[in-house]
Amino acid sequence: MRRRNFLSILLASATLPRFGWADAGGPTYLAAAREPDGGYALFGLSATGEDIFRIPLPDRGHAAAAHPTAPEAVAFARRPGTFALVIDCVSGDVAHRLHAPEGRHFYGHGAFIEGGAVLATSENVIDTAEGRIGLWARDDGYARIGDVASGGIGPHDILRLPGDVLAVANGGIRTHPDRGREKLNLDTMRPNLSYLTVASGIDEVVELDPDLHHASIRHLAAKDGVVAFAMQWQGDLTDPAPLLGLHRRGAGPTLCAAPLAEQLAMKGYAGSVAMCDGQVGITSPRGGYIHLFNDDGTFAESLKRADVCGLAAASPGMTATDGFGGILSVSRSTLTPYRSANRAWDNHLIRVAG
Amino acid sequence: MRLVLAALLALTAAPALAGVPEVVERHILPAFSRFADATETLAETAQADCTAPAVRPAYQTAFDAWMGLSHLQFGPLEQDGRALSIAFWPDKRGMVARTVNRLIAEQDPVVDTPDGFAEVSVAGRGLFALDRVLYDPELSGYGPGDYTCQLVSALSVDLARVARDMRTDWHGFAQTLLTAGADGNTTYLAPREAAQGVYTALVTGLEFTKDQRLGRPLGTFDRPRPAMAEAWRSGRSLKNVELSLIALHELAGALADGPIPQTDAAFDAALETAAELDDPVFAGVGDPTGRLRVEILQQKVRFIQDAVAGEIGTALGLSAGFNSQDGD
Repeated sequence: MRRRNFLSILLASATLPRFGWADAGGPTYLAAAREPDGGYALFGLSATGEDIFRIPLPDRGHAAAAHPTAPEAVAFARRPGTFALVIDCVSGDVAHRLHAPEGRHFYGHGAFIEGGAVLATSENVIDTAEGRIGLWARDDGYARIGDVASGGIGPHDILRLPGDVLAVANGGIRTHPDRGREKLNLDTMRPNLSYLTVASGIDEVVELDPDLHHASIRHLAAKDGVVAFAMQWQGDLTDPAPLLGLHRRGAGPTLCAAPLAEQLAMKGYAGSVAMCDGQVGITSPRGGYIHLFNDDGTFAESLKRADVCGLAAASPGMTATDGFGGILSVSRSTLTPYRSANRAWDNHLIRVAG
Repeated sequence: MRLVLAALLALTAAPALAGVPEVVERHILPAFSRFADATETLAETAQADCTAPAVRPAYQTAFDAWMGLSHLQFGPLEQDGRALSIAFWPDKRGMVARTVNRLIAEQDPVVDTPDGFAEVSVAGRGLFALDRVLYDPELSGYGPGDYTCQLVSALSVDLARVARDMRTDWHGFAQTLLTAGADGNTTYLAPREAAQGVYTALVTGLEFTKDQRLGRPLGTFDRPRPAMAEAWRSGRSLKNVELSLIALHELAGALADGPIPQTDAAFDAALETAAELDDPVFAGVGDPTGRLRVEILQQKVRFIQDAVAGEIGTALGLSAGFNSQDGD
């Protein structure tokens, strides 16, 4: 979209947030879960996994996006969902409902830019399979204000980098809501990691070698100028490929593979990625493992935990969640449980800023 | 061990554990014991006479025993890549052949010591390396003084070592499983996690037999892949399906809290179909009639999956992993 329009919308809508995350109890993390009665809820969690708040959700979600300052979470429906809920984490109310524009659906992730004034969402143009990043003005009741190209097919995770650069994991897989999650273009898929700004569009596109075109780039983490991208292998599972890559702007990607037996144990699937002091972690709920790599890309450790998927940076180390309700501390080479909650944690654990 | 188990049972008999104690006592420990015994016999046989005709019967018995536990991929079996070091299959890239051929071509002295051999790539170890060396006519004609004979001996001793270690480890791990949720148990944080882990092994085992053991050779109608059948060289493909189903049936019966008539009937029907198949290595998948028969067997395994989910999963409040079955 045109820079001038974008700025004028921002200026028109700029207000100071009334509440901060402290007013919602100061959670360190957000995570959705299925509860024993079959219902779903969004939880605010402390650094050690204690419940800070619980807000019922109408259905299973995918990821949430946390506003950088205001106690607001955007919970996305699972793909190919067409709605997202903006949840006021102080009152527990649904403050706004976002509906994907006609002919679009969400892919389940979003990120805030412009200091939290604009929400960016990964979207599919259903007829053409073109990936778009939808833009919503928070201070204008999350009104739709435009969109930009994502740089590929099937944009999934979006990450805000310094300077409001967006890193986008274009998974490369074409889907159509009429056919559920069926993958329609496995033979020709070309995933990429794209960097873009709302004002200038695509700035850099990182593709892997053609023989890795089945490695769908799906989830992202960033630290100190390095973006970590986690992948899901659409090739033969007995012919494994790396599931993690590291990228620094302007350079080529570094692929991170584990030794053969460990690599096979991941079942070709990484569900989340996180970075902390000197380490990068990915989770495989299918294999039931967390893999840790050093920041130079070398393999460090394999940690066993069934159905583990959520992973986020802690200080120090990382925190992981699983489908059995476990919340665990990941520290260098050990996995230590904080607690086991009587609920099934969903795919992602989201770190709240500040 | 029985005493220890009885004590543990007294301490831990909680509904959330379902049939886990029975699974451990009646299914898991006997299976690991049989595998340790069978591989020990294999190692002794190979050390006495490592030529192919001498070793084949003990190899077959060891493989039979492996089918009794190949689905128990948690705890000791999943440590240190053990499952792959015993059975590197499926092997789409031909890594078993590549590794075995390299060892033989280089006469790699790594076969001289058990510690050294334990460092060989998992693809060059275990039952599938033996399958190739003992049954591939290009390799199996070796004499008692040949390098290949030493390799067979080293493969057998290595298998026996891994099996022995696992049997030992299971005695400790049984406690971990049976004390799920107890203070200090960092592996299973709640009692239901033990039942969930066992149930996952059951579900995953059925899926593996359906999708890999049957699905691989079936390939597609236009492109059947009989050479992708499991252990076809040693004539085991159908037998492995049957033995895996027998083992999974035993596991299902032990895990369930009550009678499971639908599951029993589904296992029986699948085994009956398998017994009537008369195609030991699925060579018939290339012609329409033979293919249909294997597809029917695959369908029968699918019925077992449905019965298990409905009769055991639902009753225990278990389902396959919340995240592992979702994916996004």
